[in-house]
Amino acid sequence: MNTVEIQNITKTFGKHTAVDNLSLTVPQGTVYGFIGPNGSGKTTTLRMIMNILYPDSGLIRVFGERLRKTCTDRIGYMPEERGLYRKMKVRELLQFYGELKSGGNLKSEVDLWLEKLDLADWANKKVETLSKGMSQKVQFIATVVSRPELVILDEPFTGLDPVNAEVIKDAVLELQAQGTTVIFSTHDMNVAERMCDFIFMIFKGKKVLDGTLISIQDGYGSDTIRIRTEDGAVALRNLNGVEKINDFGQLQELRMAPDCDPQEVLAAIMSRTRVRSFDIVKPSLHDIFLRIAGPEAKEEGNREQGAVTRG
Amino acid sequence: MRKILRLTKREYKASVKTKGFIIGLILAPIFMSGGLIAFALLKDRVDTTDKKAAIVDRSGVVAEALVKAAEARNNTEIHDKTGKKVKPAYLFQVIEPDEEEPETQRLELSDRVRSSELHAFVEIGTDVVHPGEDPEASRIAYHARNAAMDDLRRWMGWPINNHLRRLRLADAGVDESAVSDLFYWVNVDGLGLISVDAETGEVKDAQRASEARAIGVPIIMMMLMFLMIMMSVPGMLHSVMEEKTQRIAEILLGSIKPFEFMMGKLLSGVAVSLTSSAVYVIGGIFVIRYMGLGEYIPYHILPWFFTYMLLAIIMLGAMSAALGSTCSEAKDAQSLTFTTILPAMIPMFTYFLVVKEPLSSFATWMSLFPPFTPLLMLLRQTTPAGIPSWQPCVGMLGVISFTILFVWAGGRIFRVAILMQGTPPKLTNMIRWALRG
Repeated sequence: MNTVEIQNITKTFGKHTAVDNLSLTVPQGTVYGFIGPNGSGKTTTLRMIMNILYPDSGLIRVFGERLRKTCTDRIGYMPEERGLYRKMKVRELLQFYGELKSGGNLKSEVDLWLEKLDLADWANKKVETLSKGMSQKVQFIATVVSRPELVILDEPFTGLDPVNAEVIKDAVLELQAQGTTVIFSTHDMNVAERMCDFIFMIFKGKKVLDGTLISIQDGYGSDTIRIRTEDGAVALRNLNGVEKINDFGQLQELRMAPDCDPQEVLAAIMSRTRVRSFDIVKPSLHDIFLRIAGPEAKEEGNREQGAVTRG
Repeated sequence: MRKILRLTKREYKASVKTKGFIIGLILAPIFMSGGLIAFALLKDRVDTTDKKAAIVDRSGVVAEALVKAAEARNNTEIHDKTGKKVKPAYLFQVIEPDEEEPETQRLELSDRVRSSELHAFVEIGTDVVHPGEDPEASRIAYHARNAAMDDLRRWMGWPINNHLRRLRLADAGVDESAVSDLFYWVNVDGLGLISVDAETGEVKDAQRASEARAIGVPIIMMMLMFLMIMMSVPGMLHSVMEEKTQRIAEILLGSIKPFEFMMGKLLSGVAVSLTSSAVYVIGGIFVIRYMGLGEYIPYHILPWFFTYMLLAIIMLGAMSAALGSTCSEAKDAQSLTFTTILPAMIPMFTYFLVVKEPLSSFATWMSLFPPFTPLLMLLRQTTPAGIPSWQPCVGMLGVISFTILFVWAGGRIFRVAILMQGTPPKLTNMIRWALRG
């Protein structure tokens, strides 16, 4: 069963089309990652699933029903910008947000989550006294405390230190293990690669990627060499058959041209420097993201547009 | 409804459980009636420094009488029973008129006033006893630094005119002693209308019309309503703007509809106002009865007061919340605050005309314009004039209609604007959102 089904939705703000004829299906119990550059339409899509914004056209079904406000009581939503009443005490605030959704008394649930996220000592403190990381954890609890069947997290890991990021990650995976469907948007490709069952990429309002990590990578083939050498990127310049070098300092990724033989590339590199490691891999999500939305894609787009104009 | 009430409860607690609310509850009426309280406290604080004035009497018949009147006053009125001086003495210096150079004399006297040697100087015209065609010749001119607000000027009018009447009677050959009550002043008493007691059928005597009942009580009721509106409506604008800019609105909209969000705000505003007004009304009734002035309490107006207040806060609160939702910065909210309080301010500018003539066309039409009705109709209803009974009913219908309209339009503006960041509030946008949603 699908938790979310989006059919051909379009949303415009004035003359700007934020989401353009988008369709998407989120299966129940999965972790679905939304990626895309800033301003590509991620948040607008999430807001439409939450019924905060209404699509100009198209249909959204949640839990098998056409989207209504009552459906959203079964959805936990954490927006990108954190919104907490600064003068309220942590426990009161969580109970308030939880009760708005569920209508019941969630005191024990609140205490359980506070304990789990190491915030029990702060339960009776005002929100304004919390650090940024703590506030983010409180916001996360506010999202999940009413035991929603679908959790939508807009940039949940932004601004968190590794320890707190790990805590939130574990909590998300625990929710998934309990059968909750999780949709989250992120700019961290490593997080998306490691956590998501499915990855969806939106660019300029249109869907450009949708599927499992493996299926997405398969679409690009094994065209990448991941290499470590003694001389680093300097030794890799002007190699025949290499279209692009992505330098990570200690490691470089080389994108090969179609029909290029990796053995020939290896031989060329070995003639210049000592090779410490050499792998032929599928492109990372980070690389795929850049191929779609990076400056290189923009230049290519401009070239194509120029050709069309000249033609 | 559950969500609206939950949000209302939170907003109400957030407003009421603060020191600011308690302090505001105490300070607001003090600020509102600060002038009256200050007047009551300071009314006996009179400057008792003697006031010296020069008299230039061109008629030659007034100065002496004025000096005598001042001496009589100084002997009898400026000390209280304990002998403490409570008023200034008025001391007059009679100066011969300079017929050659009157302007020079006036200038010299003005300089003496400027140097504080004198408080004022008075010029009495030649024909003051029997005014002729030249108004200048029959004028009494009082020159001082602040002549308009001068107690001495006000005082001297009575003894001078009494003396002039005596002179005129003497000139006419009338013996003043033959008519002992010649100068007896008869007051015109203000009374209400005669009515029949509905239970006994007896004719009831007219009640004495007091200023307290005619003006004081209506103004107090209207001021209380104004205070309630000011304590809740502008705050709603800022509260919505803050929740929008702090992104709390987006979280709430994940759980409730924009209309429910706005209604939660409005109901909390109503609840806060009902709490404050209940404190003031119950406390006021207790204090007034304790002072033995219970007859002045307009109990029959209280249900109207609470109904008008409730509707006014919902009506103006909806406008305030809608305007707050269009603001992304504090300066936007500051500039729009005036708009939200304008429907309460305009009645305050016109209340004196309305309370003076509650049955005039101006008062009637102003009080039937729905945004002004809660304040002005209440004011008219509280006066003893007795307005036609259909007018409050029509006024109430108008207020209910406008409240529904404001809530409907406000809800549509709120829904669009609450998530819109960085767009400054524009009237054209608001009208478009209200009409198209």
